[in-house]
Amino acid sequence: MSELFPRKQVMGFVFSLILTIVALMVYFSDMSFSVGMTILLITAFIQAALQLVVFMHAGETGDRGSIYTNLYYAIFIALVTVFGTLLCMIWGYV
Amino acid sequence: MKIDNSLPLEYSTGQNQANILGFWIFIGAEIMLFGTLFAAYFTLVDRTGNGPTGADIFEIAPLLIETFVLLTSSFTIGLAIHAMRLGKQKAMMAFLGITLLLGLVFLSVEIFEFNHFYHVGAGLQTSAFTAILLTTLGTHGGHVTFGLLWGTAIILQIRKRGLTPETANKSFIFSLYWHFLDVVWIFIFSFIYLKGLM
Amino acid sequence: MDYFDRFAVPHPSPAIYASMVAIGLTVIAIFAGLTYFKKWGYLWREWLTTVDHKRIGIMYLISALLMLFRGGADAIMMRAQLAAPENTLLDAQHYNEIFTTHGIVMIIFMAMPFIMAFMNFVVPLQIGARDVAFPRLNALSFWLFFMGAMLLNISFVVGGSPDAGWTSYFPLASNEFSESVGTNYYMFALQISGLGTLMTGINMITTILKMRAPGMTLMKMPMFTWSSLVANIIIVFAFPVLTVALLMGTMDRLFATNFFTTANGGMDMLWANFFWVWGHPEVYILILPAFGIYSEIISTFSRRNLYGYKSMVGSMVIISLLSFLVWTHHFFTMGQGALTNSIFSITTMAIAVPTGVKIFNWLFTLWKGKIVITTPMLYSLLFIPIFTIGGVTGVMLGMSAADYQYHNTMFLVAHFHMVIIPGVVFGMLAGLHYYWPKMFGFKLNDKIGKVEAWVISMSTLLAFMPMFFSGLDGQARRMYTYSESTGFGIYNMISMVGAVGLAIGFCLIVYNVYYSTRYASRDVGSDPWNARTLEWATHSPVPEYNFAMTPQVNSLEPFWDAKKRGHELFTGYYEKIHMPNNSGVPFILGCIFFAWGFSFIFGMWIPAIVTTIGIFACMAYRSFENDHGRYISVNEIQKTETSRGA
Repeated sequence: MSELFPRKQVMGFVFSLILTIVALMVYFSDMSFSVGMTILLITAFIQAALQLVVFMHAGETGDRGSIYTNLYYAIFIALVTVFGTLLCMIWGYV
Repeated sequence: MKIDNSLPLEYSTGQNQANILGFWIFIGAEIMLFGTLFAAYFTLVDRTGNGPTGADIFEIAPLLIETFVLLTSSFTIGLAIHAMRLGKQKAMMAFLGITLLLGLVFLSVEIFEFNHFYHVGAGLQTSAFTAILLTTLGTHGGHVTFGLLWGTAIILQIRKRGLTPETANKSFIFSLYWHFLDVVWIFIFSFIYLKGLM
Repeated sequence: MDYFDRFAVPHPSPAIYASMVAIGLTVIAIFAGLTYFKKWGYLWREWLTTVDHKRIGIMYLISALLMLFRGGADAIMMRAQLAAPENTLLDAQHYNEIFTTHGIVMIIFMAMPFIMAFMNFVVPLQIGARDVAFPRLNALSFWLFFMGAMLLNISFVVGGSPDAGWTSYFPLASNEFSESVGTNYYMFALQISGLGTLMTGINMITTILKMRAPGMTLMKMPMFTWSSLVANIIIVFAFPVLTVALLMGTMDRLFATNFFTTANGGMDMLWANFFWVWGHPEVYILILPAFGIYSEIISTFSRRNLYGYKSMVGSMVIISLLSFLVWTHHFFTMGQGALTNSIFSITTMAIAVPTGVKIFNWLFTLWKGKIVITTPMLYSLLFIPIFTIGGVTGVMLGMSAADYQYHNTMFLVAHFHMVIIPGVVFGMLAGLHYYWPKMFGFKLNDKIGKVEAWVISMSTLLAFMPMFFSGLDGQARRMYTYSESTGFGIYNMISMVGAVGLAIGFCLIVYNVYYSTRYASRDVGSDPWNARTLEWATHSPVPEYNFAMTPQVNSLEPFWDAKKRGHELFTGYYEKIHMPNNSGVPFILGCIFFAWGFSFIFGMWIPAIVTTIGIFACMAYRSFENDHGRYISVNEIQKTETSRGA
């Protein structure tokens, strides 16, 4: 039975629960917007990386170079789109 | 078709490896899809017109259920793939079933939540904010719905054909999809709900 | 509006009724012809259900050429209307519809399938593969593209064409200002064909990454394959943005949401923003494969290897990233302030650098080469100077302060035509002449080809150079007429002459196809151009399995090495070859998508639900299908190879 619950994945799950609870502190405790956003940014990106590496096995084959390049590229362009859009639609007018 | 037995079943043919890499590239496209939705959300979040703001309508209880249910389902699908690699078809099917059940719970809570939004005056047409909120959540929810149909099809196929290179490959790709939906939810949870509630 | 009124053309004119009759007669003629010659079975077995990348490539090519003439007809009508001041050939509404469909058709339904045609046909051959990674997905991509194109093309006879410009800016494109279903057509035609394009992107990347012949490392790939790889990477990351933008626009029009409205918090500028987040990379999606074709052709007909291979690859990779960093230069005048504009101005000018690197690489390839002037080479040589005019004016437009003068004038129109026509269209025509023998087993006539190239290039200059001047004088784009006192008349008359010249040039291509089909020699061998890359190492036309044996690669130009240095390209013996089975599902799914789009366009909810279920049913059918493909036996391979003179 225990072989069905590999240590790595169980630890990953526990860690992702902890990260979620840390993120929830933003709601349950009183803190400034910038501190809250910092916490959320850190927990969200660690959580995402955890899913990719531990659960999605992104690096387990010879294609890992392609897969990681693809992911970094996508994340880079997505961030450019988000912040560029904010720059053009909101921040640029101040 | 050449089958390489030194690799896990889902990677055992050239076509299988291509399928998995192709799906990763599709996930790259999905990152952009949700990235664009987030860009639109952040642009429109304060443009509430006469409608409510996020803080007015978000509720913590359904959010907690959705988040923990989806996190757990991401864990169980990981276990399903692990069981598949051990060749334990029964355990794998059980984990896959649990995953889909959790997905169904998530979806029900989300439908309940949408109903709540509607009743507190945050309909699709209320304001730019409500439109992008419901579209972003709806796109994720639509993906989950599609995942439920897809997962059911895979369970039926494994029951009929057992664990073959094809069914194993499909299951693995489905697990990638499901984990990815969890990743998207983490961002929705953090930057739509918690940021709005903060 | 009364229910059935929506299906009527909102602004009928004799020209539209004539087109309706023409469409009707053509459809009847096609059906009658197929029945009379008993070709239905052939059409279904060999084309509609095919998953062969070469046939799909040829179908893309035919669609692109058809759409070239559709978009060209729009262009001629536009130029005719503007040729004289206060002309009344077209009214304002008709003119709006024509410049809108001209843009959409030329970009989405002409240029895109043209590059898809060459990517599909050439890339698997260049990398020594049997097919693409996902042959059925490839067929589905084609049918989605094709049905999207058809959906847009029926718009002008059923319900009215889109009329808010190919950029379809809100609030102009909202229900309030665009009352007909035209803009709904825009949303769904682009959405459906965009899905197909995204699938092609994924398919091609996987093919290039996973299916290269043994020994072909990434840095030993031919330049066209590299350019296709980079273009498809841009597709995969740019098209989802369009998907979201179209989704939001569709919801605004069909479900009265407030994304791009001017009330309840809506933000019309966000449409322009997302449109260009996709739209600017789209420009590079079109131009990079054309650059790849030029690289192949220039290297072949200079009889030497491509100068600066690594810098060529590097510049494309840089372009692929930078292309996502410049989109705001399409709306410098929207008011986002000096800092934002400056940032995007700098990135815009930066992207000119890698493009310049490529121009120099081609020039250095020509330098000390033994240049052979054939039709494809002539197109490529004409491309360099004319494209440079377009490129340099692009840098002018990229300066945000100066852009306030150029914005939305004919100067801009002149610029992007001077980039796209020599860049993309010449590239595709060069590719057409270059790859024609590989596709069909005979060459297009070289004399007629050279006349085409000269007529088309000179007419391009004649048609678009005057617009730089009228634009600087203040002629706005998208205006259906102007008064005599503006003095724009002479410029527009010259443009009209150029437009007629372009039409003659394109008709010459058709004549060339006809002439060569009848009279050209069929004995051109598999390597008519003395080329350098793998696609020329197999027979012309190519057998369905591409290569009887997988080629062995150990350099950048394996075929050249095989010819000149005694490199053994094919070693070993024939083995049975695994091939995918044909399938009717992609075609049927494409048809259902057509009906799905049509239902949504007219807000017919019951058919919309039925077709949605149909789409899922097709996907489920495919999922449960147990199809392992088929094998071509060694005997059969031997027979084919002998009959082709191996």
